[in-house]
Amino acid sequence: MRGIDYVLKRTGFALITVFVAITLNFVLFRALPGDAITNLSRVPHATPQLKRAIAKEFGLDKSKWQQYVIYLEQLAKGNMGISYEDQQPVVSKLKEKLANTIPMVALGTVIAILLGVVTGVISAWRRGTYLDNLSTMTAMAFYSFPTQWLALMLIILLAGFFPVSGRTDVFLLNPSAWQHFKDVMIHMTLPALTVALTLYGEYTLIVRSAMLETLGEDYVLTARAKGLKPWTVVRRHAFRNAMLPTVTLMAISLGYIVAGQILIETVFGWPGIGRAVFLAVSERDFPMLQGAFLVLTLVVVFFNLAADLLYFRLDPRITT
Amino acid sequence: MRGRILVAGALALALAASACSSGGNKENSKKNNTGKTPGAIKEGGTLRIGTNSRIDSLNPMVAFNQDAYTMFEYIYPYLVQYDTKTLQFAPYFATSWETSTDGKDWTFHTVQGARWSDGQPLTAKDAAWTMTTIMKFGDGPTTNLAPLLSHVTTVEAPDDNTVVIHYQQAVGNVLSQIQQLPILPQHVWEPLAAGNGKTLKTFKNDAPIVSGGPFQLSQFSKDDIALFTTNPNFFGAKPHIDGFGLKMFSNDDALIQAAKHGDIDMIEGGGGTIPPTSVQTLKGIGWVVDTGPGMTENDFIINSHKPLHAELLDPKLREAFAHAMDRDQIDQVVWLGLAQPAAAFIPPADGVWHDTSLQPESFDLQMANQLLDDAGYKRGSDGTRVANGHPMAYNVITPTDLTGVDRTFQIIQGDFQQIGVKLTQRAEDSSAAFDEICGKDCTAYDTFDLAMWDWVPLIDPDFMLSVLTCDQFGGWSDSGYCNPEYDKLYQRQGVTIDPGARQQIVHQMQQMVYNDRPYIMLNYVNVVESHSKQWDGFLMSALSSFNNLSIETMTQVHQVG
Repeated sequence: MRGIDYVLKRTGFALITVFVAITLNFVLFRALPGDAITNLSRVPHATPQLKRAIAKEFGLDKSKWQQYVIYLEQLAKGNMGISYEDQQPVVSKLKEKLANTIPMVALGTVIAILLGVVTGVISAWRRGTYLDNLSTMTAMAFYSFPTQWLALMLIILLAGFFPVSGRTDVFLLNPSAWQHFKDVMIHMTLPALTVALTLYGEYTLIVRSAMLETLGEDYVLTARAKGLKPWTVVRRHAFRNAMLPTVTLMAISLGYIVAGQILIETVFGWPGIGRAVFLAVSERDFPMLQGAFLVLTLVVVFFNLAADLLYFRLDPRITT
Repeated sequence: MRGRILVAGALALALAASACSSGGNKENSKKNNTGKTPGAIKEGGTLRIGTNSRIDSLNPMVAFNQDAYTMFEYIYPYLVQYDTKTLQFAPYFATSWETSTDGKDWTFHTVQGARWSDGQPLTAKDAAWTMTTIMKFGDGPTTNLAPLLSHVTTVEAPDDNTVVIHYQQAVGNVLSQIQQLPILPQHVWEPLAAGNGKTLKTFKNDAPIVSGGPFQLSQFSKDDIALFTTNPNFFGAKPHIDGFGLKMFSNDDALIQAAKHGDIDMIEGGGGTIPPTSVQTLKGIGWVVDTGPGMTENDFIINSHKPLHAELLDPKLREAFAHAMDRDQIDQVVWLGLAQPAAAFIPPADGVWHDTSLQPESFDLQMANQLLDDAGYKRGSDGTRVANGHPMAYNVITPTDLTGVDRTFQIIQGDFQQIGVKLTQRAEDSSAAFDEICGKDCTAYDTFDLAMWDWVPLIDPDFMLSVLTCDQFGGWSDSGYCNPEYDKLYQRQGVTIDPGARQQIVHQMQQMVYNDRPYIMLNYVNVVESHSKQWDGFLMSALSSFNNLSIETMTQVHQVG
């Protein structure tokens, strides 16, 4: 029963979080100075009449409360509205942008997790050695680099080996599926590498710390005393218990896969949701912003809930 | 226009031909009108252009980014285009035109036997239908284009090769307006105009687009790439190239690196779009860098309606401010010499419309101090002058996306300190900045003192002149300037058909603004573009060679044999 209570409580919190986020999405963007109509009416010979027509067209002439009610009603029907920028449905735009973002950020995140876990475990295992110092300092350095600076350095160092902008080669005419796949992958290299390098350090440090904690536990000492090989002690006794904090970090990272990486996508001209959010902010494209942040909220909340439930599974202490 | 609605050419990189698909290899030597002696022309290939602009929409009823306008220029026919060298109007889909003696009726004779890219006939009826539809839904879906047909009563096509446009009154800039109006294929767009016409605006118009221009858009991925191939049915001269592509970059460093490594053949040029600091890099890799007078102009704005501090309305104070602008230093330090001091708000690149009699005020801090002393603005104990009982300290709003604005502000700030005026920068994104300038309901103009921004005017001065009319409160006005005498002149120039007479009025308006100083003009920024030596035939203009003035560049550009 306690397990059911736990699940219901966590799910309830998740739903409340989503509702609060939906409301904040509406309020925050409208609280920004500058409005959408100013941008939309920037056409040659625009007149005040044009501004009024645009305000009416998008319902921006209504009171904020009316706009909020309409927003909730439409959201309940699964309608996120029409983008102010190009008059296309936000849902279809988000799908397109997410389809570009997820593979790139997911690849970078997976590489970061693998690299971080491996280096973290090795650092802990070889604590105090030259290898540990090198690994830890490298991880801290990459963790500290500003993302956009690292991205620019990669562009300067690796331009010529990999494409520095965009997702595809415009001049690869009528490519086969395989050619297209290769083309996308090669364009993905630098942005995914940037994601990986900026994320992996955090994993290294957390895994190292968790491993050091578990390596000092009595049961590890017992395992050693039983004559088990060092690697077996690490793999079967220390590592599994050290995974708990890492799972939380993974859940958060997976949530942010959908958010994209605004800086990375902007530097590399990657046509994903991060860049779309950046452009939508500067153009006050409210429907696009609301849609993007709603999707982000849902995914982050979902993965945090999943982490909570996974904890429930991994750590029996929660139910006792 | 401000900020992103750059009418001047946006930055476009022309990507090198080496990696391009290459058509035939036949060579000939043809003379072009670039003013250069061309090398042998190698036919075929795809020009790879890099740009840091973007195409916001493929629908002409929606789009308003510069590269979208240029795209339409190449895929849709227009009745007229500019001759890029002379800035006179030249035939395009209309082979000739005439106007009635009262200037109210304009008749255009169009190309015979033309076809759209899908094989359907392209006739004057398409032009008449497009204009009639834009007027019909002008208060709604077609509102972006409707102002181009101001004062038009009806448009008719008495036969397949004649379009007649009837105006309520004589209009001084008919051709410059018509030059911006794409002709759409009636057979594609007519079904969208049913009912309230709302679909005209929501239509995605995705690639491949039925085209009547020299190129057709064959592939498009928003914020990433756009690929154009030649339209086999185009009625005009065939381009030398098989096509061209736009690759959209979102940071200048990546753009320059792509050029260095041969991933592109050209960088699109426009106001400030190639950073001045990159010019030497591009020359260093053996690229051709073309530069010349551009359309972008930077200005220092003084609230001319209800500034927070009333003394800013004082003409003597404004004159003193003008003498404290070190334009030469700004040009050298910020633009590395790729800009010129400015005086008139219609730039020299606008040709005869620019008033050459106006000269920038001399940089003379002594004179500026004297003017302020004479006007009674005494210095306080800390050296800052006092006006109406308060220190002369003002915020200057600057949009964050304005090239070079921070360094320019620092130069001005230092000089103003020497005349006892304290300036503080208030950087905001352009949307927030404009809203703070125009105030409540965007009509109050009572919440700011000073600002800095840029303009990129059109070739015809009408739009730029309109910005300072009283009607633009809540529209384009960024200074709150309102002068009934100026407005009368604006109305007059709009109905003056004789170019010479109109020119005089336009000059008079510039002098009025020069004296009233809602703007202290800072500098005219050069247009800079660059391309690989493997390509030639680019026709440079104030809007760069890749522009929406004409189809000349992309029909002349070619690989060097």
